[in-house]
Amino acid sequence: MGRLLIVGGRVLDPSSGLDVEADIAIENGVIAEIAPGLSRAGLRPEQVLDAGGCLVTPGLIDPHVHLREPGNERAETIASGTAAAVAGGFTSVCCMPNTTPALDNDSMVYFVQARTEATGVCRVFPVCAASKGRHGHELAEIPLMARAGACGFSDDGDCIASAGLMARVLSACKAVDRPFMQHCQEPTMTRNAAMHAGVVSTRLDLGGWPRVAEELIIERDVRLNRAIGCAYHVQHMSSAGSVEIVAAAQKLGLPVTCEATPHHLLLMCDLIESSGYDTRFKVNPPIREQSDIDALKDAIARGICTVLGTDHAPHTPESKDVPFDQATFGMVGLETALALYAEALIEGNVIDWPRLIAMMTIEPARLCRLDRLGLGSITLAGPADITVIDPSERWTISAATFAGSSRNSPFVGRQVRGRAVATVVAGKVRMSRR
Amino acid sequence: MPARTSSSTVADVNAAGGPGPLGAGSLTSAAWRHAHLLQLGGLSDAELRTVLFRARQYAGLLREADRVVRPMIGVEQTGSVGPLEAVSSELRGRVIANLFFEDSTRTRVSFTVAARRLGAEVIDLTSVGSSVSKGETVGDTAANVSAMGVDGLVIRHRSSGACHLVVRTLAGDSEAMPERRRDPGRRICSVINAGDGRHEHPTQGLLDIFTLAESFERLGTFDLSGLTVGIVGDVGSSRVARSDIAGMTALGARVICIGPPALAPRSLTALGCEVSHDLDAVLPELDALNVLRIQFERHEVKPGEAKENQPRTASSNIIASVREYAELYAVNAPRVQRMRPHAIVMHPGPINRGVELTAEVADSRRSMVLRQVTHGVAVRMAVMSLCLNAPVS
Repeated sequence: MGRLLIVGGRVLDPSSGLDVEADIAIENGVIAEIAPGLSRAGLRPEQVLDAGGCLVTPGLIDPHVHLREPGNERAETIASGTAAAVAGGFTSVCCMPNTTPALDNDSMVYFVQARTEATGVCRVFPVCAASKGRHGHELAEIPLMARAGACGFSDDGDCIASAGLMARVLSACKAVDRPFMQHCQEPTMTRNAAMHAGVVSTRLDLGGWPRVAEELIIERDVRLNRAIGCAYHVQHMSSAGSVEIVAAAQKLGLPVTCEATPHHLLLMCDLIESSGYDTRFKVNPPIREQSDIDALKDAIARGICTVLGTDHAPHTPESKDVPFDQATFGMVGLETALALYAEALIEGNVIDWPRLIAMMTIEPARLCRLDRLGLGSITLAGPADITVIDPSERWTISAATFAGSSRNSPFVGRQVRGRAVATVVAGKVRMSRR
Repeated sequence: MPARTSSSTVADVNAAGGPGPLGAGSLTSAAWRHAHLLQLGGLSDAELRTVLFRARQYAGLLREADRVVRPMIGVEQTGSVGPLEAVSSELRGRVIANLFFEDSTRTRVSFTVAARRLGAEVIDLTSVGSSVSKGETVGDTAANVSAMGVDGLVIRHRSSGACHLVVRTLAGDSEAMPERRRDPGRRICSVINAGDGRHEHPTQGLLDIFTLAESFERLGTFDLSGLTVGIVGDVGSSRVARSDIAGMTALGARVICIGPPALAPRSLTALGCEVSHDLDAVLPELDALNVLRIQFERHEVKPGEAKENQPRTASSNIIASVREYAELYAVNAPRVQRMRPHAIVMHPGPINRGVELTAEVADSRRSMVLRQVTHGVAVRMAVMSLCLNAPVS
């Protein structure tokens, strides 16, 4: 592999505090030099990536995506999902285990790795099921999956509702030093739930998903985890009350983290009414109210919420173009996340670009133990995963141009600002708009 | 919703109802611009009056026809006769399809009679025996029927918002095919909601309002101010209740939803009504009581039917027992005695006699059950005539 030069950009590495105008030289998939004015002598044009006016950051990491392979390859595959990832500037994604069959044993880890090797264009790290079949009854083979390469554990899509099983899961994850990521949803309170429980769900008569169903699980898990001390991560946090619980746990020094998605930072449940039951707004946990958005932003500003995740959830039109109560949950996010975070958090004056990049690189890397592979930072001799971001590019989100297989985005047509213009994975340019 | 303004003239009161006492609400009607009727929620009081005034006109003609035709039995008659002749060509040559994905007797027959009275042809599709049982989606079924040149779809479906989905599908607003758009030159196929899930049943709401207005001599204005209406039973699961609340409150009535917390949750106040868990306490305030059936079928979760992402635990035990419910909430003769002297009892049907309503009350002079059914035809004639003849925007 030849030399690749990324020139003229502002190199931003939140893990080390690096923030300089410099060029980066890449050789054999690793970072060889970081310095201003590196020589272009002897390089062909395709070996020089112009990053003028751009941020040059560690490759973005999404700790929460659904790649749908195996089982629902019409919605997404590892090939199409990683194509969507690099289109959005991501160089690593952590895929959830709710496939068919579920990622609940080490052979499934090897399957994901083999398919990524054969068809993927970015790194894929499986988050494996903590219970067999994701049924929430029996403990899965957590140590074997960790050994094979699972970066974390979760029954995502379902909550581990049994407190007895949960205690064993936390102990098992602690023993292999992997995070447990909880889909926080008390099941008996959310039967037939389709949207946020409130005035709008009453008017539309859609099953209500109350905030407390999320808060109860976090509260319980924090309590259970006190004596265990496993890294506990709250996925796709949606409720203002959850922020309080996480903040209180962190204050006690407990290892609790949480993540925010683009849609929970930007969308409110009123949209379901004004759009006439548009199922693209149906997501689990549901989009809620302004007070929740404000609390999530505040949690990010105060460093309570440290990780951003898209919960990229591709679905076929057949599973979305049906009545609201029957439609599947979720929306695609990989290709739109960066611009939407910028809208919610930078334009919203919540945090600055270095902090946003931290929340999309070193923070998820630490959560999923990917920092040990050198991911999430720009370091000499470290893996050359780099994202070049034009923070001022204005563009309109269009489903027709999505690289992923599915189009279920409620943000289609939205005018946004900020975009990944090049994605380099292990020294290879996997996406370039330059 | 526009604020109600006071107005003193009733321009278009016609002979059928006769003017009632004037109240404080607006008495004006508004031009009808909707090709579809999906819900009463969001309609202004003026728009509601437009439909109700039209229904009153039809109700008068229907009643006259009833009187004229009956004595002439034995004399050979064809087609519409007498008073109805004038309206029997309003929808002549138009085709209306009943798409009922859920069981119905009353509503389907009522829509059919109403459409025929206006000269339309009616096609009946029920989910049994049609492509629905072969797995076709509601959007596809509606689009296919519409593509045959049908003018109106009357839809009942078990999902809230199903009619909204059909309207979007017919408009070509599909996520799968963003490039597919309705031919702008093509006529719009009207969609009329005959009950979507537990969301709304707008024509039932209108006929309940009509019955209420008739009983209290408000047919001149449909101003319901000063009237207190109770809705007792499984309010949370009721599409009738949502339409009643939206329509009746818009026309000035006070609405109290009554039932145990599981059936009449406090959250219903979001709809603009009050909530009480004590029927006996509110009875003396009531001018009318709409009695709803407990929709056991909407509460049960059978183990095999739980979805993949749904929990598989205990069944939802919505009431402790029918005995307990009847003891506290059944509408029986002693309870009716405690209502205001002129008070009426309504029920959208089907009645579970002995559960929510005793036979004694159902068959008493207070019971408006069959008046409601009669008015259903007039109301549905009005809705179909207005929607199918609405100007295209």
